[in-house]
Amino acid sequence: MDDVKAVRDIIQSFSKSKKILRMYPENNPIYMNTLDEDLSKFKDFFYSKDAMTLLIRQNEILYDTEQVYANQEKDDNLALFFFKDGLREITFHAGLPREELESFLKIISMDFNRDTMDDDIVTLFWEKDFQKIQYVVDDLVLSDDEDYETKAVMEVKEKASEEDNIFKAYEDAIKQDEEVKDVAIVPLLDKDLQLLLKELDNDSTDKTPKLIDILFEMIYLSETADDFEALVTAFKGSIEFSIVKGDIVPVTQLLARLKQLIDGDEFSADVKKHLKKIIFFAGSDTIISLLGEVLDLGQETEEKILDDFITYLDKNSIVPFMKILGELKSIHARKFVIDALISIGNKDITILAKGLSDSRWYVVRNIIYILRKIGDKKAVDYLLKTVKHGDVRVKKEVIRTLGELGGAGVLQALRECLDDPDVQVRAASLKALVNIGSEAAKRIILNKVSDKIFKDREFEEKKEYFESLARWKDSEIFNFLTTTLKQSTFFGRAKNYENRACSAYALGIFGGSDALAILNKFKNDSNKQFRDAVHIAIKRAGNG
Amino acid sequence: MLFILRSSVPAMDNKEDIEINKTARELVNQISVVLKTSQIHDANNVAVSSMIDKVMAIINTMILAERIIALELRGDFFYVNDTRIRYPLEYLLNFDFLVREFKKRELGSLIFKDRLSSDDIKIFVKAFISSGFSSTPFDVMQEKVSDLKNFSVERLKNIVDRDTVEPRKMVKKTYFNAVSFTKGVINKIKSGEKVNIKKAKRVVETMVDQILEQEQLLLGMTAIKDYDEYTYHHSVNVSVLSIALGQRLGLNKKKLTDLGIVAIFHDIGKMEIPNEILNKPTRFTDDEWKIIRKHPAWGVKSLLGLKKLDELTIKSAIVAFEHHMNYDLSGYPRIRKRIELDFFSRIISLADQYDAMTSARVYSRIPMSPDKALSIMMERSGGQLDPLLMKFFINMIGVFPIGTLVMLNTKELGLVYESNQLFASRPRVMVIIDKDGKRSTGFVVDLTEKNDQGDYIRSIVKTMDPNKYNINLAEYLL
Repeated sequence: MDDVKAVRDIIQSFSKSKKILRMYPENNPIYMNTLDEDLSKFKDFFYSKDAMTLLIRQNEILYDTEQVYANQEKDDNLALFFFKDGLREITFHAGLPREELESFLKIISMDFNRDTMDDDIVTLFWEKDFQKIQYVVDDLVLSDDEDYETKAVMEVKEKASEEDNIFKAYEDAIKQDEEVKDVAIVPLLDKDLQLLLKELDNDSTDKTPKLIDILFEMIYLSETADDFEALVTAFKGSIEFSIVKGDIVPVTQLLARLKQLIDGDEFSADVKKHLKKIIFFAGSDTIISLLGEVLDLGQETEEKILDDFITYLDKNSIVPFMKILGELKSIHARKFVIDALISIGNKDITILAKGLSDSRWYVVRNIIYILRKIGDKKAVDYLLKTVKHGDVRVKKEVIRTLGELGGAGVLQALRECLDDPDVQVRAASLKALVNIGSEAAKRIILNKVSDKIFKDREFEEKKEYFESLARWKDSEIFNFLTTTLKQSTFFGRAKNYENRACSAYALGIFGGSDALAILNKFKNDSNKQFRDAVHIAIKRAGNG
Repeated sequence: MLFILRSSVPAMDNKEDIEINKTARELVNQISVVLKTSQIHDANNVAVSSMIDKVMAIINTMILAERIIALELRGDFFYVNDTRIRYPLEYLLNFDFLVREFKKRELGSLIFKDRLSSDDIKIFVKAFISSGFSSTPFDVMQEKVSDLKNFSVERLKNIVDRDTVEPRKMVKKTYFNAVSFTKGVINKIKSGEKVNIKKAKRVVETMVDQILEQEQLLLGMTAIKDYDEYTYHHSVNVSVLSIALGQRLGLNKKKLTDLGIVAIFHDIGKMEIPNEILNKPTRFTDDEWKIIRKHPAWGVKSLLGLKKLDELTIKSAIVAFEHHMNYDLSGYPRIRKRIELDFFSRIISLADQYDAMTSARVYSRIPMSPDKALSIMMERSGGQLDPLLMKFFINMIGVFPIGTLVMLNTKELGLVYESNQLFASRPRVMVIIDKDGKRSTGFVVDLTEKNDQGDYIRSIVKTMDPNKYNINLAEYLL
């Protein structure tokens, strides 16, 4: 009875271990402890017995005629789980190694309900070639017709419709002297074995490129619209299969070959229409999402491989790429998608600009970055609508982009941004105006600086404005800076000194002997902040 | 053993022949019914008695015409006075029951020498039932019927060595299971149903196991050809031959399974060839050839449409496309970019050609003998067929493939029953005509056996084509 109890305990632990092995990775202590515990239970059992044979019934498991497991439910029923694939008996033998037990538990932990699962439990056991786990299988579960063998054997025997001429054969054999020649056995030489080894080595495990070659041959063999439809489906399947495996090169090669056929004059427009569907599929939501998953796994993929792949994608891939942009977790993957969108996005800025309406701020910021990198001025109209985005990070990005792209409406938007309550937005806008570098841009900054209320801004911000102006290096700016440098007031001296210091910094950037001469006049000024600024400016102008 | 040769029975015309067979069939069926019922009821039970009377009436009618009736079990078939009893499917279970019960008791023949009374039959029935509980059933039964003047029993002839019976049964089961599965799959594909690849794997795994353990037995099954079910048998035969060759080439179990599955599907494109072309008994026209030559591409289309692409589907599609292309690419379909045939394609091409040549086809009812087929294939080696793989293939099939008709130096005629891997020229042979020129029950001899002087007792002196003499291998090998 102790044995029965022990077996019952082992079976109970199977159910528990199934869950643990599903949840934890192999190196997790919980995983390892579970396995050790199970193994130790088996070891204890094998102290007194050489083997443990479990008889599998539909809803129960027996050991030595005793029921050790029973479950009438359909779900989570270990007996039924074994039974439905034909397992009728499982025997564990003494000396069961840890690896075998682990493999056994891993197999029974699998989710066999998945559609993609092409192996049943018996196949997986079979592939493992267990040495200490034996099992008995009823193969009747495989047959739709249980009596087929009997009927087929009977039928094939019945087919001797005519009488045989066995005695004629005997007569002939006795009479004829000449022997029938046989094929001599060909001796196998060392050379043959070497050749065979080479063949086995050359037999690549990845047959997808071969399949793709065949599919291309089949383009020439196809005749009807149905043929082409089926072929398109097959091509799509091979693309999906390769991408799932993270194998991008064969897909790129496939697309390159297709492109060649589409550009060539071998095929009619109708055929080309079918071929284009394949290229379209390569940029579909399905493929791009799968690609994203692969990239997110952190698998190392050479940049060149990805770049080559992108080259062949059509503009339909823009939306799927934008979709995954917000979902990817790894920086590497996001960088790839951004680069991809920079490359493909210019095929249709309008589609890309739709990404500016995305609810996720980081996606919008990425799209703005992509638009900037593409550098198409057509994007400005869309970007201007984003200037009022609620997120400062987006605003900064769009201002910078507008600054780089320039164009109608941009200055007005930037001018407004100079009054934004957020200092970072104002600073970005200032930089953008400098970047534009036009007279109009200068005027905007100059006006802003000349504004009465300007002096009330923080010193650092004011300094940035003055320094920005210095980039224009024209007489108007020189005059404005020297005037401000010299300007003295009765009221609000402190703020005035700040303005003068800002002018000094700006003149330092402006440089030149005229600027230096003026600056030198104020190097002994009594106001420390102003004097320090003059000294730095002199140094900078001198170096310049 | 009492041999009642057919020639000793008065000649009958065809109509009478049919009538006799019908009566004999009825006899076997009724005996089975009586014995089955007697396992539950006593022989004196009214129902059993009435059945016994029926049996008696049949026997006595036959005795009037034949004088002596010998009902004999040979292999899995019953013979009455040396004529095999054919029966329709509805008798299958009763026949099967009787075969099993005879074998269980080592009972080979029931000999009725004159008219019987119902009491005689009751004695036999009781002896039959009680012997089932004995450890020496035949002896018990023989002893219990020994007082009957007009009735005797004979022991079952051992046509196959005991130790090979079980593996043979297993192999037969596996083979027909595979044929049944293939038939089911092809029909499912035709009707657009989903195919269960898990089942395919299980079926082929069993074949792989048996090739690894009983290569020659399973290979032997491929010698049995079924003309009507050619498509399914061919698919399985190609699979078995490919696995066996793959095994000799050193492929692991997983690869052998893949190879076996791929082989089963190699001709799937033929499904789309119209039956009137496929079953045409005369030569194909050019237009028909054009259609035939499309089946590799149709195969690819069909396989890739079955399920989501995976490694196995890819391998299957490649083989479906390449299996007629030939090693030197001289076959079909013709391709533009030169490619090297896949390893699996080259294996399966060999198996395909061999099985096709050695099978009866619509346009060639008499199949080629294995040695003739191998000779032709040897000529194609290096051109159509891979020369390296061909070497392995010939070695696998052997000098005397299973089913070869052989004449022995003892003037016995037999069929190669099992190859001998160590001594290729000394297989096991089932003797079908004995040294006196009489039909034998098919005992198996081992050509490696030697006499006291150390000389081989039997050797093959000649090989012949069993098809030429209309010998149904299934009758002997199954």
